[in-house]
Amino acid sequence: MATKPRSESAVNALRMIPTKWAVILLGILIVYVVLQPRLNQWFGWRLPSVASMVGDEKPAKATHKKGESTNNDTNKNETSKPAKKGKDVEPDLEKESKQETASSKKKPAEKTKIVDEADEERDQPINTSGKSENNNPSQPAKTATKPKNESDDTDPLYGFLTEVGRNRYESPAGLVYGPGSEEGHRLKHIARHLEDQPNRPGSHGVFKGGMKPFLTTIDEGYVRAKKGAKGTTKKEDDGSMVYEITFDKAIGFIGGEAGGRKKNPATKKLRLVVRGSNVITAFPF
Amino acid sequence: MTAPLIYVESCPVCGDGLCRIRVCITDQRLTGCVLCDECEAVWTDPSLQERVSRKPDADDPQCPSCGQSLWSKNAHWANIGEVCLLGWYDRVRVVSVKQG
Repeated sequence: MATKPRSESAVNALRMIPTKWAVILLGILIVYVVLQPRLNQWFGWRLPSVASMVGDEKPAKATHKKGESTNNDTNKNETSKPAKKGKDVEPDLEKESKQETASSKKKPAEKTKIVDEADEERDQPINTSGKSENNNPSQPAKTATKPKNESDDTDPLYGFLTEVGRNRYESPAGLVYGPGSEEGHRLKHIARHLEDQPNRPGSHGVFKGGMKPFLTTIDEGYVRAKKGAKGTTKKEDDGSMVYEITFDKAIGFIGGEAGGRKKNPATKKLRLVVRGSNVITAFPF
Repeated sequence: MTAPLIYVESCPVCGDGLCRIRVCITDQRLTGCVLCDECEAVWTDPSLQERVSRKPDADDPQCPSCGQSLWSKNAHWANIGEVCLLGWYDRVRVVSVKQG
């Protein structure tokens, strides 16, 4: 009821103003209408909308408050309010601002997803399987719990080894993988044999499979070689024991430059070098 | 990117490794030896005649001079200049290998 006299007086006041000034004021008003929702969003201001200033509605606060949230439905509700009571130009402008707010809302949401993924990757202590376990980046609550689960997975490393000391991991057969080698850790060193190095001079044994099957094969071979089973040999070399184990089927191929020249023949043999129970290296040959 | 790989020959112990020149610098003194990058066998020089034994309780291969780990910060794979300084350039092969 109070809005009518207010709007009438406003119109009367406009009539009193010279045309030039009226045009300028109208221009400022249009610019304000266009920029108000954007400014609210960009800078977190709480500028009132024209509709709320002219009428008795109060969407200004709600606009940016909801705009800060990532829910698109709330945005629709808030933009529909000024459309009802606004002037002719307002619905279009409000539509624009609605689209903009919707699109600008999506951007932060996407950003948070990426950040979540990066955080989860960073939280992973050791990537054991090479597969990413972050399947639900949209569930931020899980980011806190995931590292726990992952560390549980890596506690017996590769689901196969158990930690027996600082950076020392023991296999079920009693082989210990600890710090050492050029790579800094024996596990990293033997992991070199999961991929070919075609430019490397000489031969380079490559295991066909992932780290877990490789560790399992090494363990199996070690148990057999220690027993002196058929198809195994062992020889001592300066405190190291060099085991050679022949398996029933191919476990990998011969890579490197020499292997490449022979078209990477498959091999059933594994050579394992240990000092005591500490693994120095293992590779197909 | 490629880098020179300096080696003597394939390792006679493990067959898969390369016998490469490793240098250890202690007290501004450079010591060279030959180290297999796979099984960590160590020789005093590229002739591969004399082995360097490591202590039974040593986890890492040891410098024949100071006894420090050849994987320590004091040691590294020799570059061509160092190989020349050791007088071993004629006994090594140098290949260019892609670095990943």
